[in-house]
Amino acid sequence: MTTPVLEIRNLHARIDEREILKGVNLIIPPGEVHAIMGRNGSGKSTLSYVLAGKEDYEVTEGEILLNGANILEMEPDERAVAGLFLAFQYPIEIPGVATMTFLKAALNAQRKARGEEELKTPDFMRLVKEAGSQLNIDNDMLKRPLNVGFSGGEKKRAEIMQMALLKPSLAVLDETDSGLDIDALQVVSKGVNALRDGQRSMLVITHYQRLLNHIVPDVVHVFSDGKIVESGDKELALKLEAKGYASYGGEAA
Amino acid sequence: MRANFPVRLGPAEDALIAQLKAAGADAAAERITVAGLPTRRVESYHYTDLKTLLRAIPPLATAANEASAPALRIPGAFNLMIANGAIQNAATAPAGVIVGKAEGGVLTTRDDVLVHINGALAKEALTLTLESSVDPVIQVERRVEGEAAHVADALKIFVADDASATIVETFSGSDAAHVGNHATYLSAGKNAVVTHITIDLSARAVSHFATNEYQLADGAKLRTLVIHAGAGLARTHVFPRMAGAGAHADLTGLNLVADGQHADITMETLHAVPHTSSQPLFKSIVRGRAKAVVQGKLVVARDAQKTDAKFMHQGLMLSDEAEILSKPELEIYADDVVCGHGSTCGMIDEDSLFYLMSRGVPKAEAETMLVRGFIAELFDPIEDEELNEALQGIVDGWLMNGQ
Repeated sequence: MTTPVLEIRNLHARIDEREILKGVNLIIPPGEVHAIMGRNGSGKSTLSYVLAGKEDYEVTEGEILLNGANILEMEPDERAVAGLFLAFQYPIEIPGVATMTFLKAALNAQRKARGEEELKTPDFMRLVKEAGSQLNIDNDMLKRPLNVGFSGGEKKRAEIMQMALLKPSLAVLDETDSGLDIDALQVVSKGVNALRDGQRSMLVITHYQRLLNHIVPDVVHVFSDGKIVESGDKELALKLEAKGYASYGGEAA
Repeated sequence: MRANFPVRLGPAEDALIAQLKAAGADAAAERITVAGLPTRRVESYHYTDLKTLLRAIPPLATAANEASAPALRIPGAFNLMIANGAIQNAATAPAGVIVGKAEGGVLTTRDDVLVHINGALAKEALTLTLESSVDPVIQVERRVEGEAAHVADALKIFVADDASATIVETFSGSDAAHVGNHATYLSAGKNAVVTHITIDLSARAVSHFATNEYQLADGAKLRTLVIHAGAGLARTHVFPRMAGAGAHADLTGLNLVADGQHADITMETLHAVPHTSSQPLFKSIVRGRAKAVVQGKLVVARDAQKTDAKFMHQGLMLSDEAEILSKPELEIYADDVVCGHGSTCGMIDEDSLFYLMSRGVPKAEAETMLVRGFIAELFDPIEDEELNEALQGIVDGWLMNGQ
């Protein structure tokens, strides 16, 4: 059997004294796109932060294996080098750091960590131009400070462009549809779908079924009260949309 | 209540009094005898108590016999040097620049002990007259070389109407416990466009004091940048006088301090006539147990209507022991002005750090990016690329020393 890109075993995590993840189990084989749906406050975003290694959360039990390697002891940058990418629900605005400078630093840091040669400026510029053009990102936007003054749609498109440049083996998309109008949603989805290549896996976290019309998942999981309570095919998302999350218990958010 | 009994004088004050008397500056000596060095009770020295911080005054400097390596090279710059208070021979000046000498004492007399001392002890002043726009950056190196010395030196710059120039002063020298007292007077003519940068790169043992006075005529545009990145004790006192309608000044500064250092930028801007504006923007970055001070006072004269001025100080603390002190003051006598002040202070933003790291950037590099980003608005307006890179190099060097 091929090694799954992501394997989560009985993951428990808390912030301060509050337990948020209460035994998550999940396996994503290479090339598959899995969706996690759940109501607000069910712990979906926490799962994405714990995967990426945000310090605020403490993992109390369980394992996360990325391509067979345990990443729990890794720093966020090491996880990125190992092939993880998190598209943020709210990308952070960083004044004073030009988008282009940041992209080059990120790309070269990952190449360096993998023992590859750093990219020369002309090659880097060509890569960025290619990735940007597919997502309607022009030079003007790249010259601006990272995410500063970007509209909601621009921020999400910039996230997907970073993903296209960094070529992760696992992309976690945290509520990528939030704050997007229909047109922006189509551009972003097209960008994501272009990165589905039969090898790269994705974990799409969303509140609404809408996104899954554009990024069609192989498997849908329902998340409730800190764990996965039901899994099925894409029809499950439609069922959820019709019936809501009420049948899974827990308090409404 | 002000105490009336005589102040107790310490060894630093005794030495200063003797040096001033020997120079024939009895009035300045008498002031120190009566009042001593300023303590925290003197408002403009509130966070930089010289009586406590300045324990000794070394002997007055003699001629420099040796020279340390230049602290900063700006490619293509026209270089001038003042070493141990004496003006050195310069290379042929570029077009539009007249280099000369004058008697010391370039600052306007005011109630400030360092101004008095400089006026009494600076024997000669380097004068720069910029008759038209000057292309190369003008760099004035101010050195204190050899054994520990007390040095007072002076520079006077005239920028003619409609001229433009960039002047960089660097302060450096040997690593003895010098006390430097440096004065610069800069007058910008009508519609002149001037950038004036002063960078302290002295050794840790040095106490560095600088007073920068500016006079702006109608329509003059001034950008200043003070960088403290060297001396254990550094203080730059900035006195801009907005004296002509339409004059504008971007008054900026950066304190970079680490373990045991104390750096202070104190500004007092006078908006003397109607229709002038200033944007004071200062930043402090503190690592380890160290202290950064920024005081900013905006004075608007009675008739100076339509003054537009906003003071801002932003602090970045890279350690728990860091101390950043901020004091804005407004003294406004006109009634139709827009004036304000603000001050913020914080640590490296954890969310920003996580975001950069989540893209594969290692922690140290991510922190460096964020610190550079914090400073960017001070350096971005410096258009000369080589100068801009040189400034960035100072910050990078400072950051590397801490890793």
